[in-house]
Amino acid sequence: MDRVLRPVHRWVWSDTGRRVRKLLAFAEVETDGGRDILRAAEVTPDPLLRRLYLAHAIDELHHGVLFRERGAELLRERGGRAGALFNGNPLPGGHGLDDVSIEGEADARLLAFLHVAEKAAAGRFTIYRDLVADDPPTHAIFEEILRDEVFHMNYTYTQLARISPRAYRRQVWLARASRVWKRLLRLAAAVGALMGSAFLTVLYFVVLPPFAWWARRAGRREPAGWAPISAQADAPPTSQY
Amino acid sequence: MKILGISAHYHDSAAALVVDGVPAAAVQQERLSRHKHDAGFPLEAIEWCLDHAGVTTADLDAVVFYERSMLKLERILMCSLRSFPRSWRSFPHAIRNSLGEKVWVRGIIASYLGVPRRKIFFTGHHASHAAAAFFTAPTRRAAILTADGVGEWATLTVGRGERGAGGASSLSLTREIRFPHSLGMLYSTFTAYLGFPVNDGEYKVMGLAAYGRPTLCDAVRRVIRRTADGGFTLVPEYFEYQTSASRSFSPAFVDLFGPPRHPYDPIDLESSDGRRYADCAASVQRVLEDTLLDIARELRRETGLPDLCFGGGVALNGVANARLLAESGFERVFVPPAPGDAGCAVGAALYADRLYFKNADRDVPDHPFMGPGVDADELARVARDDGQRVEALDEPALLDRVADDLAAGRIVGWMDGATEFGPRALGHRSILAAPHSAEMRDRLNRDIKSREEFRPFAPVVPAEDAGRYFELPPGGLRLARFMSGVFPVRSEWRARLAAVTHVDGTARVQALDREMAPRLYALLGAYGRRSGIPVLLNTSFNVAGEPIVNRAIEGYSTYRRCGIDALVAGATLVTKPAVPRARSMKEAYS
Repeated sequence: MDRVLRPVHRWVWSDTGRRVRKLLAFAEVETDGGRDILRAAEVTPDPLLRRLYLAHAIDELHHGVLFRERGAELLRERGGRAGALFNGNPLPGGHGLDDVSIEGEADARLLAFLHVAEKAAAGRFTIYRDLVADDPPTHAIFEEILRDEVFHMNYTYTQLARISPRAYRRQVWLARASRVWKRLLRLAAAVGALMGSAFLTVLYFVVLPPFAWWARRAGRREPAGWAPISAQADAPPTSQY
Repeated sequence: MKILGISAHYHDSAAALVVDGVPAAAVQQERLSRHKHDAGFPLEAIEWCLDHAGVTTADLDAVVFYERSMLKLERILMCSLRSFPRSWRSFPHAIRNSLGEKVWVRGIIASYLGVPRRKIFFTGHHASHAAAAFFTAPTRRAAILTADGVGEWATLTVGRGERGAGGASSLSLTREIRFPHSLGMLYSTFTAYLGFPVNDGEYKVMGLAAYGRPTLCDAVRRVIRRTADGGFTLVPEYFEYQTSASRSFSPAFVDLFGPPRHPYDPIDLESSDGRRYADCAASVQRVLEDTLLDIARELRRETGLPDLCFGGGVALNGVANARLLAESGFERVFVPPAPGDAGCAVGAALYADRLYFKNADRDVPDHPFMGPGVDADELARVARDDGQRVEALDEPALLDRVADDLAAGRIVGWMDGATEFGPRALGHRSILAAPHSAEMRDRLNRDIKSREEFRPFAPVVPAEDAGRYFELPPGGLRLARFMSGVFPVRSEWRARLAAVTHVDGTARVQALDREMAPRLYALLGAYGRRSGIPVLLNTSFNVAGEPIVNRAIEGYSTYRRCGIDALVAGATLVTKPAVPRARSMKEAYS
């Protein structure tokens, strides 16, 4: 799929603004993924896996730093202002592997998921590396990450075969199928959210205007500054109002 | 009587269990789920509290939610309507966001916990803050001030509380400032403007303020205006948080203060933009302090009481707290260890216990250590598995060894007993280091915490020695108990406490009583015997973007991936071997 989308990728990476946005998005995803793998290291009962997960998590967190520093550097070189690119207030602490609930996840399933995800990422990063040949520092970052991906792909597959010798191929296929299914679910959720927003927007303009007039009128009557507290004190303890 | 308090759904979810009027357990969901500022329903936190106290959901007499969720929905709807049609973009988002779990709180609690609906109670958001501040403070009568971003409608309240001789309690909030006029939102808007994450980066603004000069106070006072009755209003044309889900300040705000900082732009204090950001931070900090101070002085006059209990997220502002203590006329200021929304879990449960069920007042533990303990054996086992150097030492030998390490410039991860409830590491989940050199501060910022250079670190000192190194006003020791105040470092000690002295010569000091954390207290003594100064740098045991560690394994994984030199849990001391194994293992698979 990524090979088919190569012209799209070329278009994305050809512009500095989009390149910056992509690098900073990768920084978030790699960092969040690293935190998830770190959590896997903390909860697995298998000492060898714990060490491997930890090494993997350190790599991912390092990749996050590389992407973030390069994105910030390009941003400074570009001299663009924040408003044009980013308006949100990103909260730290989100988790990149949001498809997987680390707690309670069997190691075999997690390893299969990681193996498939790393393989897909390696393929995509190879394309990106080739597309940023004109930008040696970014090219070097992808080179470094691709070297790490070899370790990630190899250990996940080897360990999967160790802990699930009879079903490891099936686990990999299940992980692939699960990725496709989750993409479909995400698409469905996005379409659902879009439809919901459209419905609520129509509702907003059709139903709300008289209530808006009333609410504004009530708002104008509210005194500025302090307000005495009375209603809250009278509310029964079982009331949500 | 067993009462479970819950705060959830906005940021920093938490659960607390009050048994016979005394908090028996309290923990933030983020410490268990490992998602910083976890806002989800705190099922794991609830389970831990119940397990810890040996209580089942059937044993609970009441479950108390920390705010009235439908009243909150009313405010969200009303604000959308009042800003019609400018709110058309945010309306679908706000409704979808509110109509999920947030509105159906009673049903969610009933279904998750299996408790009858008649046992589910609600308190007001600011009533929970007030109860958390007042009922946990060692005072019989006090004025109460709460301030945060917003609860249901209130953003700031004042009132008073009394714990009577016969055990009866009263807590009454008499007046409030209502949304959208909010000191918390004002500060958060500047937090976003300065490129820091809202509900997380406010303390960065406070740290940055010390580098600036309050030259923009007049501009800040154009966006927040005082009212004739001593309150304040925010001027709506400068704000967009009522109409936008993605941006809290308006183009008029940008016209007034200049272009906002990009989150990924480093703050270069040598540049004009960097100085402007610092001046903005200093100015909003000054205006916040002045406004709080006026309100507190009026409250002091009104109540005639010598004690103030201060709760809500704004009470995390240690610089403002210190000014309240010094200038408001109150003799003592009590800020609980968890003044923010997490603390509302304790507050809601105590509010219900004292006021709904009219149970007799009880003194509550005056410390924050109400969370899960640490398992030293788990640490030893895992560290041995990984080829780390593990030693089991008796208490004096361990303290001597750690003090030696600290004196030699090594950085120590320190885990001891139950985890803290609240955002501060107060000696049970701390990273400790020698406080003497600026190099140590830079090393911690760079190699361990991965955070901005301008951020200061806090010192911990035995309470009886605090006055020697820090200029604590009367009542300052109390404020410093939970690291809630920022005070000057005495000038003669600043050079020798460079790692914990901020650019303006202050420090957010923790004054430690022996009874509160005896092992850390003993360590301070041992370190003092070596260095001549019984002060240590004490920062939370986490790295940027992650919650403070809880279990030994989480401390261990943090220790393994950053520049911490030694890790202590109970009697176990772990240090790094000469050759890291992860690299060789990686090479084997590549």
